[in-house]
Amino acid sequence: MTSNDMEYLTIALPKGKLFAPAAKMLAEVGYTAEGLSEDSRKLVIANDELKVRFIIVKTADLPTYVEYGAADIGIIGKDVLLEEDKDVYELLDLKFGLCRMMLAVPEALAQDRLADYAHMRVATKYPKIAERFFRDAGIQVEIIKLNGSIELAPIVGLAEMIVDLVETGRTLKENKLIEVARIHPATARMVANRVSFKMKFDRINKLKEDLKRLVEGVAEK
Amino acid sequence: MNKQFLPRIPYGTRDFLPKEAKQKRVIENSLAVLFSRWGYDEVVTPTFEYLETIDVSSGADFGENLFKFFDNTNSILALRPDMTTPMARVAATRLKETNPPLRLFYLTNVFRHEQAQAGRQCEFYQAGVELLGAPGASADAEIIALAIESMRQAGLKDFQIGLGQVGFINGFTEEVAVSTLERQRIKQCIVNRNLVGLGEILTASGLDRETQNIISEIPLLHGGEEVISKVYKVVKNAVSREALDNLADIHRLLTSYGVGQYVKFDLGLIRDFDYYTGMVFEGYTPGLGFPLLGGGRYDNMLATFGVDSPATGFALGIERIMLALERQGITPSNVSKDLYIAWVEGAQAEAISLAAKYRQDGRTVELALAAQQPAEVETIKLAGQYRDVVYVKDNHAK
Repeated sequence: MTSNDMEYLTIALPKGKLFAPAAKMLAEVGYTAEGLSEDSRKLVIANDELKVRFIIVKTADLPTYVEYGAADIGIIGKDVLLEEDKDVYELLDLKFGLCRMMLAVPEALAQDRLADYAHMRVATKYPKIAERFFRDAGIQVEIIKLNGSIELAPIVGLAEMIVDLVETGRTLKENKLIEVARIHPATARMVANRVSFKMKFDRINKLKEDLKRLVEGVAEK
Repeated sequence: MNKQFLPRIPYGTRDFLPKEAKQKRVIENSLAVLFSRWGYDEVVTPTFEYLETIDVSSGADFGENLFKFFDNTNSILALRPDMTTPMARVAATRLKETNPPLRLFYLTNVFRHEQAQAGRQCEFYQAGVELLGAPGASADAEIIALAIESMRQAGLKDFQIGLGQVGFINGFTEEVAVSTLERQRIKQCIVNRNLVGLGEILTASGLDRETQNIISEIPLLHGGEEVISKVYKVVKNAVSREALDNLADIHRLLTSYGVGQYVKFDLGLIRDFDYYTGMVFEGYTPGLGFPLLGGGRYDNMLATFGVDSPATGFALGIERIMLALERQGITPSNVSKDLYIAWVEGAQAEAISLAAKYRQDGRTVELALAAQQPAEVETIKLAGQYRDVVYVKDNHAK
């Protein structure tokens, strides 16, 4: 099933906070299905009239589904794309879900220069991004991979610094952390499998154009 | 050692069990026959080469993806990461003696240390052809037509070829005033169809709006013949136009081969390897998220081995073909064996000569290794693994 079937377009959507805006955006360009909701018990939600299928997957897994062609296209945050580093085509910046990947330390540990953070420990959910950032800066650090509650790490002495995704920075403030470097901004992206993009080019390209118009329309308002 | 030793196989390797091994053999044999019919001769090269041979020629940056080791003089060796380099090396020496063109094919395993993917382990099997010493659209069209024929021969029904020309993109990036680094980054974004990244680079590049628009459209120039004529009107630089003419020529020939319907132009296609100099193509099939085959023209590689000669070719992933067939529910033809020969005590000699006779006739025969009771033979019959079961009794073959 899935992309095996040339008639259908399979779209992967991520669980979590990008789900609702992504589903809404697709609905606005006519791509939706009955019962498409994040807590749907069905694993595959199809709209046979429109010949479209939706699958809802864990964010970190989404690039893998698309890379293998289990889904033709997907919507996912740039942060996940950078971290997972999968071979997928990045077709469009959907401009929503704006966050930034950044480096933060407890106020008390703040240094003047980035190089002064050398040899400290960094807690993060994004080890690849963190490693790339410090390597490019020529700084050696020890990276500790965690799966959540990153802010806790400096408080209990597990690490001195954190690399994390923040939206407003409120959590940082609440935990007396200050942002010392911006790594990159991240928004939601439309991605496609490299074979699907070619074999279902007309359909995927039209969807991309429709979404692009929508994104640009919103930006102008 | 532990009492219970569980042998493991290295990361990125696999076993082919009888059913798969048989399917693999069938596919490989049919490809070998096909390539021979088109006048290609098989070449076998060493599994490993000197690292410098691979480094110097490939242009493809295999870097850390190579499996490397030392010989007894501490020279660095590497398992071949593809067959294009060894073939070019062989051809460079052969071409000095033979008149071009030279048509060669191979069927073998190659090694790349990378994340294992669908139908591609670190060790995987490739079939491919190289047509050396022939410039021009005729040679390119022959290669593409043969690639299409290979997919048909392997049993695939639904597939597509994406056809591009690296000259088309080079024409733009060479003409516009961008630094080498920018050019590299633009190309990388086109390879990955990273439209967002491409947009960012172009905005920052300071190129004029019109050029920016054209370059940002390149990854989306995809479709039938109409794409070529449409693009021809907008493109002014000579290199890109030449590339388009070349594609139109190739396509016309492919129509003569009767395979034009499988081909879609894809001007954003440049493939990952830097050694391509002309047309490039990939083969796709539904249900497999990765290309099945890829190839193109690489006119500069042989020069690194001392013979300046044009070259074109393709390679196809055997495991990917197998996976695609499986996904599309195309099962290999019946794998059961023709005949089982059982015998009663005292009839073994006769059974042996009977087996020899049938084998001579070209039938698949499995011979019992011990005398069997009628009930046992009945069970074997019922299991249906063999088309026929022969029970040899008292000098009378049934």
